[in-house]
Amino acid sequence: MDCHKVREVVFLYADKEMDGELLISFEQHVAICPECARRAVHAERLIMVVRKRCGRQMAPADLRRRILTSLRHREAGN
Amino acid sequence: MSKKVDSSHSQGWNFEAAAMPFVDSLYNTAYRMTRNSEDAQDLVQETYLKAYRHYDKFQEGTNFKAWLFKILKNSFINNYRKKQSRPPQSDFAEIEDALESRVSDEATQNIKNPEDELLEDVLDEDVQRALDELPHDYRMAILLADLEGFSYKEIAEILEVPLGTVMSRLYRGRKLLESAMLDYAREHGYLRDGSPAKMRTRDADSKEYRDKASG
Ligand SMILES: [Zn+2]
Repeated sequence: MDCHKVREVVFLYADKEMDGELLISFEQHVAICPECARRAVHAERLIMVVRKRCGRQMAPADLRRRILTSLRHREAGN
Repeated sequence: MSKKVDSSHSQGWNFEAAAMPFVDSLYNTAYRMTRNSEDAQDLVQETYLKAYRHYDKFQEGTNFKAWLFKILKNSFINNYRKKQSRPPQSDFAEIEDALESRVSDEATQNIKNPEDELLEDVLDEDVQRALDELPHDYRMAILLADLEGFSYKEIAEILEVPLGTVMSRLYRGRKLLESAMLDYAREHGYLRDGSPAKMRTRDADSKEYRDKASG
């Protein structure tokens, strides 16, 4: 694997979607190329930042109620 | 006809138990896609009603959460195309082109990376703002992967696109997102020592301008 290929597939690695020979050759390259090693860490950190910093919105209680009401309405055959 | 009532009744309870635990996940995704609570609530409710109606088509043993998200995605696309309350696609394409050229500039540069440090400066609102501004195909892929933890295969199922498309949407989407996030981080890094009133002033100006123009 070369640096160009690493750049292309780095998110596959960071998302743990890589396996088999691709993973082996990725890890072999990263072991000898500090720039790509950094690139791999950076991709993982980017994902972490999105995951941690994108606050989750909770469904309003009223929405739950609305959904249940409409489902039960359907069940009753209306 | 009336004989069906019993089975659909028990099916209904079954559905509730299976589906209700995903309300928060669906709502969070809907909220990030529509960017407001009212639309998000409507979208989630519509998703539940459609899912209930088509529950018999759900194949036991396959991924129920992914199936619900697929319905959410389809509802979003239908509503979005109908409403047109947002900027049309061409605007997105322009924004994307602008960002894209910046991204490829970065890709060809050698990495010396102040970016790594800047990632530390990224605030919640930077991530959210950058996400909100992404074209919706990219935004959806990122939400499904990073916030819902779906695998590429599941995302391909939900979005009904090939695996390669999932990969390229995640790749391009994250590059665009990163570039925008870092811009915002730089911006408030600058504003911290500079003039923090900048945004507010601009808002006030435009309001004044509107008032003048209308009166
Ligand atoms: Zn390399």
